[in-house]
Amino acid sequence: MGQGVKVLGISGSPHRHGNTETLLDAFLDSAREAGGEVDKVVLKTMEYAPCQGCNTCHKDGVCIIEDELIPLFDRILSMDALALASPIYTMGITAEMKGFLDRAQYLWARKYILKTQYFTREHIRRHKGVFISTAGTGWENVFSSAFPIMTAFFDIMGFEYYDNVIANDMDRYKGIRNHPTALLEAREKGGKVVRVISELKKGDSGERIQERGRGAI
Amino acid sequence: MPYKVLAFATSPRRHGNSETLLDWVLASMGEEPDVAIEKVALDEVTVNPCRGCNACEVLNMCVQRDDMDMLHDKIVEADCVIFASPIYCMGICAEGKALVDRAQVFRSRKYVLKLPVVSPERIGKRLGIFISTAGQNWDIVFDGAKMSIKCFFHVTEIKDRDILYLLVRGVDKAGEVETHPTAREDARTTGKAAVGRLREMNR
Repeated sequence: MGQGVKVLGISGSPHRHGNTETLLDAFLDSAREAGGEVDKVVLKTMEYAPCQGCNTCHKDGVCIIEDELIPLFDRILSMDALALASPIYTMGITAEMKGFLDRAQYLWARKYILKTQYFTREHIRRHKGVFISTAGTGWENVFSSAFPIMTAFFDIMGFEYYDNVIANDMDRYKGIRNHPTALLEAREKGGKVVRVISELKKGDSGERIQERGRGAI
Repeated sequence: MPYKVLAFATSPRRHGNSETLLDWVLASMGEEPDVAIEKVALDEVTVNPCRGCNACEVLNMCVQRDDMDMLHDKIVEADCVIFASPIYCMGICAEGKALVDRAQVFRSRKYVLKLPVVSPERIGKRLGIFISTAGQNWDIVFDGAKMSIKCFFHVTEIKDRDILYLLVRGVDKAGEVETHPTAREDARTTGKAAVGRLREMNR
């Protein structure tokens, strides 16, 4: 079960092994236990430049910046599941994560301007994107600015924006390990995404698992 | 004493749409006798991203040494802070987000250490302006950006009611803002309104 399901976690926190990366690790560990082929990339350890807004890619679908992000985007396109993890800083994702996501502009250009990239509905259904985040404040709307960014990015990359694992109020809980449900939720969802994709890869039976998840059966 | 205006052009693309819009606002403000303008292009300075170490909650300063040291003081001294950023992928650009996040030191000072960010008599007399352009025409395209920018202004003691917005949708290509039907006039109006507000606040 779960074999051949490739899962990549991308950590966009500058703070190694902090709340968000710990939550991502719980998700990835569980995905691995479910049989997924799991790997993790830490943006802080990579060398890359933010998008320069030159729009050259609108003409040829190629980014003028040749750095470590280009192989990373290639790799993402070969994944079945993608977990993007960023803490919330000042009501938004981190500069590292934003710097990475904006570089997908050349893939956006391929899809929407040059029309050389196309994902079938079936492809999108079989590729799942998950957003993982923590925030210090307890405000209800603290993740609101991150959601549209994730929606746009997963759409560009041909992934269904499948789920969130988000936990706010970290300042009050004094860390993710004291949060009553977040790590458990990450573990549940990491395994689930591998099982669901595995079923989808086999054929139509994935539909039933998803429906059951929603309590329809 | 003239009103000190500190303007940030945060786009990686120099003299693009958001910076052009900013320049129009600054030109309009600069026509007034009681305004002194300083513009900083993030492209020309080094502002590294926040490391999330939370040391500023204890130290009352950032552990990183870069141009934010100098900009920190300028932000405190300014009567009006202007932040110009394009929208990339439904949010401000990464360079702009790094600047916003480095304001964490002000947040720590204000909310954790309970120390003044500006002297008490200047509270309520500081103005913020957010200038942005987006390629998309969607209604919600500026919503996420505004959330972060509001925090940036709030922690630097610029009140919510004292933030002006100049947001232009549907301009993507270099120079496209030049052909926008109202942008130039809107920028001029915003500049004049800003100076008017500064005078009113500081009366």
